[in-house]
Amino acid sequence: MLLLRIAVGLGLLGVIAAVAGWFASAPRGLSAAEIAALPEGDAARGEAVFWAGGCASCHAAPDAKGDDKLSLGGGRVLASDFGDFVAPNISMDREDGIGSWSEADFANAMLRGVSPEGEHFYPSFPYTSFTRMNHGDIADLWAFWQTLPAVEGKAPGHRLAFPFNIRRGIGLWKLAFLSDAPVIAIDTSDPKLVRGRYLVEGPGHCGECHTSRDIAGGLDYGLWLAGAPNPDGRGRIPNITGGEGGIGSWSESDIAYYLESGFTPDFDSVGGSMVAVQENMAKLESWDRESIAAYLKAVPAHATAP
Amino acid sequence: MKTTALIAAALLAGAVPALAAEDPIAVRQTLMESMGGAAGLTAGVLKGEIDYSPAIGKAAITATAGVAEAYADYFPEGSDTGGNTEASPKIWEDPAGFAEQISKLQAATAGAVSASGKSGPADAEAFKAAMQPVLATCKSCHETYRLDD
Repeated sequence: MLLLRIAVGLGLLGVIAAVAGWFASAPRGLSAAEIAALPEGDAARGEAVFWAGGCASCHAAPDAKGDDKLSLGGGRVLASDFGDFVAPNISMDREDGIGSWSEADFANAMLRGVSPEGEHFYPSFPYTSFTRMNHGDIADLWAFWQTLPAVEGKAPGHRLAFPFNIRRGIGLWKLAFLSDAPVIAIDTSDPKLVRGRYLVEGPGHCGECHTSRDIAGGLDYGLWLAGAPNPDGRGRIPNITGGEGGIGSWSESDIAYYLESGFTPDFDSVGGSMVAVQENMAKLESWDRESIAAYLKAVPAHATAP
Repeated sequence: MKTTALIAAALLAGAVPALAAEDPIAVRQTLMESMGGAAGLTAGVLKGEIDYSPAIGKAAITATAGVAEAYADYFPEGSDTGGNTEASPKIWEDPAGFAEQISKLQAATAGAVSASGKSGPADAEAFKAAMQPVLATCKSCHETYRLDD
């Protein structure tokens, strides 16, 4: 009898844990009040947000240049320890892209990583950074999106191993890793640092590549921007703090000039996946590049992460 | 001092290949440093940090042309690893694509040489116009054929 009661008790505990996990992992979008408060977007301002966010670097064709960067048909593969993520079609096509979405759908995707169907997106879509964006920028970006072409054709799905192929599990991952709090404390009386932090930690999503990850795929904020293995295989994503192996010898104007021209202080050129990022940064106002530079000089210096 | 060092680096280009023909990785890295020296000289002029003279312009342009002619010879099979090389394996996986990038570089430097004439571009504006197509090829090749670092 005792054994039976223990067994029933354990079974009950299991059910409670499962129920708790089910609720904890539930996708949570913005509140009705937050949705109602989304401002009217401005497409011209949204274009700057589009380049700051680097949307085209993953969602346009891999070799796209010029106006082809506005065709967001997807298809680029991001290799990872969990499997291959394939960037989806996020063009204005109503069938194959996101042309049928509402502004609220778009805001939920960008800020909460939740789809219109109420499912979690995988964090290969860097809403983990975009969640720090202000709602005005989201509205402007969506207004700009309306001007983009529709591209036909769905990209293939992600190729992930069990258990990473269970979307609901991302809900638990989000509880651990999704936060809109700033990463680095800065002097908030300096508007340049505030702007730089916003661009780097929010839309620019620099930390997604330049910061190493733990075994669960969460960013190691203790080594913020200190470099990381290249998920594509050989080579490394560089340390962009002032620590050993980083860019401590670069001045603010060196960093701003690099983002504008693609040339380092010793006149090496930008390469690899950073080329697309640099070309996006070159489209921003010079004040934005200077702000990014000021912020990078202000983040804690770390020796290059292992 | 900085100017002198940059000019010296640019002028080195022609002398390099004899140094270490047995070590293609070292040769191509030195060649690329010469390219960087010429790019630095150009940037210095563009930013107004270095006073322009036609001799400076000619030095930078001929340095890039020398590198462009020699560079592709230093990527033999088996030189994809070692010596801190940042060459991407794609150079050997896609030799036609790499050759196309080298051709673009050579066409750009040849154009700059012909714009340069006998004594170098007359003024900083002419120098800038001659060098910009050369500098534009850096990224287009490094995007695919050099490893992220």
